[in-house]
Amino acid sequence: MKYALIAFVIVATFFSCKKDNVGYEPTPYELDIPSHFPDMIIPIDNPMTVEGVALGRKLFYEKQLSGDNTQACAACHSPQSAFSDDNQFSTGIDGLEGNRNSMALINLGWQNFFFWDGRSATLEEQILEPVMNPIEMHETWPNAVSKLYGSQEYRDMFYQAFGETGIDSVKVSKSIAQFLRTMISGNSKYDVMYKAENNLPLSASDQAMYATVSPEESAGYDLFKSLNGADCFHCHNGPLMQVQKFSNNGLDAAFTDNGRGDVTGNPSDNGKFKVPTLRNIAYSAPYMHDGRFATLDEVINHYSFGVNISPTLDPLIEYAAQGGVQLGPFEADLVKKFLLTLSDESFINNPDFQEPQ
Amino acid sequence: MIKFENMKIVNAILIAGCLALVLTSCMDDEIVTCEPLEGSTLKLTVQPTFGAQDLHLDSTYTTAEGYKVQFTEIKFYIQDVKNGSVTMISDGLFDFRSRGTLLLEASGDPLDFAGLQANLGVDSSINHDNPSEFPNSSWLNISNSNDMHWGWNPGYIFVKIEAKADTIADGNDVFDHNVVFHVGLDANMQTLDYTNLNWLALGNDVHELQFGLDLATFLQGSTQSIDLQTEFSSHSAPGQEALTLKVMENFKEALTLL
Repeated sequence: MKYALIAFVIVATFFSCKKDNVGYEPTPYELDIPSHFPDMIIPIDNPMTVEGVALGRKLFYEKQLSGDNTQACAACHSPQSAFSDDNQFSTGIDGLEGNRNSMALINLGWQNFFFWDGRSATLEEQILEPVMNPIEMHETWPNAVSKLYGSQEYRDMFYQAFGETGIDSVKVSKSIAQFLRTMISGNSKYDVMYKAENNLPLSASDQAMYATVSPEESAGYDLFKSLNGADCFHCHNGPLMQVQKFSNNGLDAAFTDNGRGDVTGNPSDNGKFKVPTLRNIAYSAPYMHDGRFATLDEVINHYSFGVNISPTLDPLIEYAAQGGVQLGPFEADLVKKFLLTLSDESFINNPDFQEPQ
Repeated sequence: MIKFENMKIVNAILIAGCLALVLTSCMDDEIVTCEPLEGSTLKLTVQPTFGAQDLHLDSTYTTAEGYKVQFTEIKFYIQDVKNGSVTMISDGLFDFRSRGTLLLEASGDPLDFAGLQANLGVDSSINHDNPSEFPNSSWLNISNSNDMHWGWNPGYIFVKIEAKADTIADGNDVFDHNVVFHVGLDANMQTLDYTNLNWLALGNDVHELQFGLDLATFLQGSTQSIDLQTEFSSHSAPGQEALTLKVMENFKEALTLL
């Protein structure tokens, strides 16, 4: 009897800690967050794992997510365009164009809302939409999932990422979200200017980069921040080079696209759109929610002389009554030089963000 | 040879050891949750008004001068919220558009807070710290402060009021002035001190302290008014000191216990 009891206890010892998912041992993914950035808040139901990121990266470039298997997310979010589209409007699989410019995918882990009108509150929620959108990838999720399930490689990768068999849209969204959260840009000239300005330690490579900052770029930064200069910093500042808000920046006196107003139903939000980051702006042309400006010169000219007054114009456009901040050609050139310091080649060319082979 | 009696003892030890092994074998994996003992939930709320009526953003109100005004943003920081030596919470951010009337929530016993002191703004000892290094739970973390942080040197915006005003009696409804009051800088911080607090018991051990923020009082003031026709912009910059101070003093006056 006592031997039976001992045997039971020993067996119980071995099985008492049995995991729910035998063989599911995901590897935690350590984000490489720049020293001057805040922490990234990761959703508790979608922790970062090496397996999840790898799957998300593969799915980001997966054309089977579209109705005719010709378009992946990357079709409208190309690495060489700072993960945006260099066309004014993206063209979906049926040859239809949208009415807004594809947003650059940069530092999404710190965003509070997604799309130009902020209609998605989470990255996971945002990712679900383009697949189903009839003017974009025009596919149903059951079809898309079915195509993925036909691949042994995907079945294995989903199991490795989530520890259970089966594929669904939620897992697709979660894995792509994990991949997008790894796409962090914080290694530009601006970053070393920010660190130096605030007496943060500069690494050897930071110091080398800082040594290349020209007087014109510094002067442009001063103008960028100046209330009586370009006055850009109200909406574009800090490590992310943006604030989280919706703004009507004076593009139109009357709106053909209500933007945020169509989401909230509040006329006071008409003509307002998400303030985007200026990081890698040299790569992300064209500009504005409708891609109306092809060049940075046109953008600067808008804020200098082209501001239109409307009932929802952002009060921070303080020189609206005179059309804008009235930058002369020399000042405009300095501001442009500063904007180019926001380019982060290590982000654009990061091999971990490119299409997996 | 081990005697029979000794075998009994050995077996008993063996069984006890195995049981102990079973009981302790998962200790490393277990998540031991020791929930902190918490007191009541204390909520501080602020109801913006314009005179006697509740204020709604983007709605039109008429000032004492007859100007039409639409407020678009009302935000402010309070920091080092305490009663004497008892701290309630380190900081709170009021953001009427994003968070409604909630100023802050904290754990505590309302009996400890018969009075309340706080900074209206952010104390100079932390105003210039790295905004990325405040805890995620702090409203001073740059992810939470958002557009209430200028930069390390100037620090945080203490009080932000944005509005549009129609100050020209021309018969049309064009709001001809953008009104922007962004007040910060160490010298402009104010202190708040309230006594005889009236905590409302909301049930479920939640207690609320209600403040009012009368924007009519903010503009009119008891001793100094803000004329939106001529005084519509302050970023606390050199040359704007008088209006900057007036904004802070009138704001403090307008923020009262209900």
